[in-house]
Amino acid sequence: MGRLANPLLVFSLAGLLLAGSPSKAPSAAGPPGQPVPNLEPLAIVVNQANAVDSLSMADLRRIFLGERGHWPNGRRITLVMLDPGWPERAVVLSDIYHMDETEFKNHFLHGLFTGEVFVSPKTLSTPEGVRKFIFNVPGAIGYLRASDVDKSVKVIRIDERLPGDKGYKLQVPSRENK
Amino acid sequence: MPGTSTSAAQTWAGLSRYSSALLLFFIFCAVTVVGLFAIGDLRKAGIDQQNMYAGLVLSLHRIAALEYQTQETRRSTLYALSTTDSNLHVKYADQSREADHAVSAGITEYLANARTPNEINIGKRLERDWSTYLSVRDEVLASILEGSTKEAVDRDLGEGVQSFDRVRQDLAEVERIYDQQASQQLANVDATSRRTIIRVAAVLAITLIATIASVWTIQKIKMTGAIQLAKLQMEFVASVSHELRTPLAVISSAADNIADGLVQSKDALKIYGDTIQRQSRHMTELVDEVLIFAATKDRKSHFVSHTVDVPEILHSVLRQTPELATASGFHVELEIEPGLPPVKGDSSALARCFQNMIVNAIKYSGKSRWIGVKAFLGHAQVQGQREIQIAVRDRGIGIAKSELSHIFEPFYRSPAVVAEQIHGTGLGLSLSKNIAEAMGGYFSVISELGAGSVFTLHLPVAEDPKSQMPLEVRVDGSTEK
Repeated sequence: MGRLANPLLVFSLAGLLLAGSPSKAPSAAGPPGQPVPNLEPLAIVVNQANAVDSLSMADLRRIFLGERGHWPNGRRITLVMLDPGWPERAVVLSDIYHMDETEFKNHFLHGLFTGEVFVSPKTLSTPEGVRKFIFNVPGAIGYLRASDVDKSVKVIRIDERLPGDKGYKLQVPSRENK
Repeated sequence: MPGTSTSAAQTWAGLSRYSSALLLFFIFCAVTVVGLFAIGDLRKAGIDQQNMYAGLVLSLHRIAALEYQTQETRRSTLYALSTTDSNLHVKYADQSREADHAVSAGITEYLANARTPNEINIGKRLERDWSTYLSVRDEVLASILEGSTKEAVDRDLGEGVQSFDRVRQDLAEVERIYDQQASQQLANVDATSRRTIIRVAAVLAITLIATIASVWTIQKIKMTGAIQLAKLQMEFVASVSHELRTPLAVISSAADNIADGLVQSKDALKIYGDTIQRQSRHMTELVDEVLIFAATKDRKSHFVSHTVDVPEILHSVLRQTPELATASGFHVELEIEPGLPPVKGDSSALARCFQNMIVNAIKYSGKSRWIGVKAFLGHAQVQGQREIQIAVRDRGIGIAKSELSHIFEPFYRSPAVVAEQIHGTGLGLSLSKNIAEAMGGYFSVISELGAGSVFTLHLPVAEDPKSQMPLEVRVDGSTEK
């Protein structure tokens, strides 16, 4: 039980339990009968030094689920999430994890205990924090609205598609909807 | 005939007259130059000091900023170790990166200002070591952000501390160079300051010596002048007394002989009468000369200016000069250019002037018993003006070059002339010069010892020959109608 003895791990688990609301995550598509909101691509971003340019949605899911611990170059994968409540997080939970907040937390609690999960996600309070975190950590991966992306991070293809390409699956309601 | 003009003597006389003013002007110039020199030197020293101070402050500011920002880079990185909050991790990472950008900019600035090879080498080494530290710092930051605190600490202790120490050593080296430069600049300023003090002191000493020498010279000139004047006046009194005593003795003995009845015949009485008359006239002329000179010296003499015909006056003077009448076998060679224009002046004063020239030529003609008088039209020194030149030449004893500058001084008599017992008051030439200058003219002299002399009077031609209106001319050159 060496992992439980690690104070950082315990702190991370406690953070996961306390963070966010248990409510169902918002979906990119609105309820039936409601007008479809304007959408904006949600980019999957990595450190500029990361050699990976493209991932399949399945690989992306494995990474986000923490089932894959290292990049092909041996660098440890660090998963970066936004705090609960952010539409981007809701899109990731629904479109990548296929989970709600509770299932997400349970997944990591369980996985970290059993050792099936190698990566505990880091939670940041703003997209700018996410961007800076990924800039500083060579093995980091996270998500940002396409409009929040700058040159400090690298956008990777998902299923050979970049944000904005036709058929790109990850879409987040535009801020203009507010 | 080789000779010497009096112009040099006149110039020197003029300079002597204004010697005090010239010396004071020289001292003023010297003091002004010294002042400007001292001010310039002090200003330079002040600017050097200001530059040094500004350079020191800037250097200290640069090194202090570099040291602070390097510490800040590391401090912010280490702060990130103290928390598990990813948001704080990002914040500290940001702070560390901001500080490292400032350090990099500071190093670039240092390299841009580096001049010596040593400075450039140290700057490049600092740049390299800083880059090495930053790559370690990036890894440490990445480990902290990943949550691998132990890995971050191990890496920092393993590589970070060493590389950061190298950076600190480099900065200490930069600081040492700044210190050396500051010490060198301080030494330079100190040397400049010392040099300035020495220069100013030296120049002030020179000025003081020059001032003392100038005052001493002025005093000496005045003293010498006063002594010389007193001596000349004594000689003048003796000379005049002597000149008066001779005719007086003749008159007295003639009168005694007549009173004692020793002279009986009419012929003898006529001879005695002529003698008394001649000697009385000679005395009168002598006294007149002294009085006129005294009047001209007091600048009270007034001349009545008319257009004057020079040949006419010359003929008149030659006819009436008693020395010529009494000097037997004396040959006068007169040459007057025909059609000479008139000059403007006082006819009687000019006559006295001509007479002095002729009498002097007779007195100093020696055994030659010849004088030449020539009047002709010449060109004046002022371009476009004409002048009449009256030259009187003798083939007598001549004048030594050293005497030429003194012969127009009042009461001056050459030692050679005195030795030869040639009588005179020493006023004739001085009086003639005053008259010439009052008429707008001047004298020039060419002389050679043992060969003779030529005295030339230069008189400007009257502008309007028809003008007969009397014009009163004072000896100081001013005019009034």
